[in-house]
Amino acid sequence: MPGTPDYYTILGLPRDATLEEVRRAYHQSAMRLHPDVNVEAGDTELFLDIQKAFDVLADPDLKAKYDSQLPPADIDKPLVEVNILYSRSALPILAESQLVYVLLDFSPPRLETASESAPINVCLVLDRSTSMKGERMDMVKTTAIEIIRQLRRQDVVSIVTFSDRAEVLIPASRRLERSAIETQIQMIQTSGATEIFRGLEAGYQEIRAGFNKRYVNHIVLLTDGRTYGDESHCKRIASQAAARGIGISCLGIGEEWNDNFLDSLASRTGGSCAYIAKSSDIRRILKEKFLSLSRIYAENVRFDFHTGKDVQLRYAFRIGPDNAPLETEPPINLGSIPVDGSLAVMFEFQLPPLPGDISHVALANGQIALDVPLLTSPSSVTRLRLNRPVKADPPPEPPPTRLLNALSKLTLYRIQDRANLAIATGDFDVATQHLNNLATHLFSQGENDLARLVLEESENVEQGQSLSEEGKKRIKYGTRSLLLPANAENFLSADGFGDGQR
Amino acid sequence: MILCPTCFNEELEGALFCGSCGTQLTYQIKSPTETVVYTKRGLGKGDAAETQLIHGEPPAAARLAFKIITNGQIIALEGGEEFTIGRVSGTQPILPDIDLTPYQAYEGGVSRLHATLRITPETVTISDLGSANGTRVNGIKIPAHIPQPLINGDTITLGKFQVEVIIRD
Repeated sequence: MPGTPDYYTILGLPRDATLEEVRRAYHQSAMRLHPDVNVEAGDTELFLDIQKAFDVLADPDLKAKYDSQLPPADIDKPLVEVNILYSRSALPILAESQLVYVLLDFSPPRLETASESAPINVCLVLDRSTSMKGERMDMVKTTAIEIIRQLRRQDVVSIVTFSDRAEVLIPASRRLERSAIETQIQMIQTSGATEIFRGLEAGYQEIRAGFNKRYVNHIVLLTDGRTYGDESHCKRIASQAAARGIGISCLGIGEEWNDNFLDSLASRTGGSCAYIAKSSDIRRILKEKFLSLSRIYAENVRFDFHTGKDVQLRYAFRIGPDNAPLETEPPINLGSIPVDGSLAVMFEFQLPPLPGDISHVALANGQIALDVPLLTSPSSVTRLRLNRPVKADPPPEPPPTRLLNALSKLTLYRIQDRANLAIATGDFDVATQHLNNLATHLFSQGENDLARLVLEESENVEQGQSLSEEGKKRIKYGTRSLLLPANAENFLSADGFGDGQR
Repeated sequence: MILCPTCFNEELEGALFCGSCGTQLTYQIKSPTETVVYTKRGLGKGDAAETQLIHGEPPAAARLAFKIITNGQIIALEGGEEFTIGRVSGTQPILPDIDLTPYQAYEGGVSRLHATLRITPETVTISDLGSANGTRVNGIKIPAHIPQPLINGDTITLGKFQVEVIIRD
């Protein structure tokens, strides 16, 4: 039935959704897009679609009529393969709280023609404040030109530069006069302060101008500075972008930028944050970002759920293909699935005491919605139920190795988090202890440089000082990157991405 | 609650790692009736021992066994005259026969190549291989590279890692 909108996908629901789920989904979308709260042109239209979908699906008669016209769902052909690992196969009856870890892997279905990835619509938002002057900006210019040269024919790239105001250097367009663009990039001048909102706003407009549902739409923000006073505006744009399926990734250069702020900005949209310690890394990391964007199978993998009774999702982290802390309140944007790999996510659930008279405990029930740009019906919804049997005395068993390995590295990242928290509350002894423990583990894993850095910083903390900004970022992103496969760097530094036309 | 054996931090049941010091907590629940058998039979010189997990008592062929004091698990050695004890970490050229990594060897201060056991028909001896934290027999530190005889019931301490010696005649 071409022409008839799919009300289920509009609300992000599977076909067998209950009335309660329809109400919930409608309520969540309405909170985001209701004309009383939204400010942007276009939001009202999105809201009207949602309203229409709700009106039909919430009315049993209309729903039955609508369902009867729907083409049969492609049950045989799921759009995503989900692999679930639990830390225990059965949970013991216990009079106290317990933890369960779940490692989820989302990968493209094997039957799908492999290695086909969607074209990209990317806006590069470049900080051109005074501090970018010199080597940093030179590196950015060279890399930007290199990236433009390697674009595939269908790809769309726009460039916005900003300081305390923003300029559209290259508008979103497919057919570009290459030499003119390169001249434009070469002529970027550095001056002024960093106001991220200016750049983000202009970048968002360009992405919307080139927006295409069949594309991977993404903003890549490159900055070396801290923005003041406009954080809430930035977050608003991130939320709007997330609602439209536009991702935001941030690359921070040097030690000045605000990592917590940019992390939260990226997390909202399923994007990621990277730390660039020195100018010479700009080329590699920026190219890696474009490479990964050009190899996406599905994006905006969203997990909407409600937890079991008294069950709490305590922690969520994306451990691959890139790393990012995730929100714990549903719906969670988990990120993107690469064409040739998987999206891996770790959840930590805290359970209430389990009485002897239950046989199963539900951790979370919900659905996974995702956008597959290359497919004609680009959104798909799959049910996902996480639960475990409960037994009186389950035999002891080792947890799955993959889960254990990932968790051992994630634990180091979380110790780092704890140390920072302790410093923030003035608990320097505790922070020192955490850092020393962290260093010990890093040494034992052969990460000697990072371990030595942690020890140096730990000595300062012992005397009641905070971590240096550089040390803090190097430790944070250093421990985070332990989760990446060891060969990732070699794999990604391979020149070029896509099928570059030279 | 689980008490972390290294830093005494309390974690909820089901936690796999201590959130404060990063110590792995999973091996705390190992069943005391399990025995890990290390075999060198049929292997060339320089090959690391093969391991096998069995339930119940050590096999009759194993003259020497150890009981890990913290969890009661038994390590049995059979089919060889010489076994090195240590832990495997990253890229090291020579691997020990008995890898203590699963028992928090690193936290316990066990060296990569910590000690050697020699089993002859007459005696069983242990030599410290110049380890960083030393080897103790019944609480007394033994000098490096000098074989020390062992009898049934002795306690060996490698760093902080403790085992009881079981010798069957």
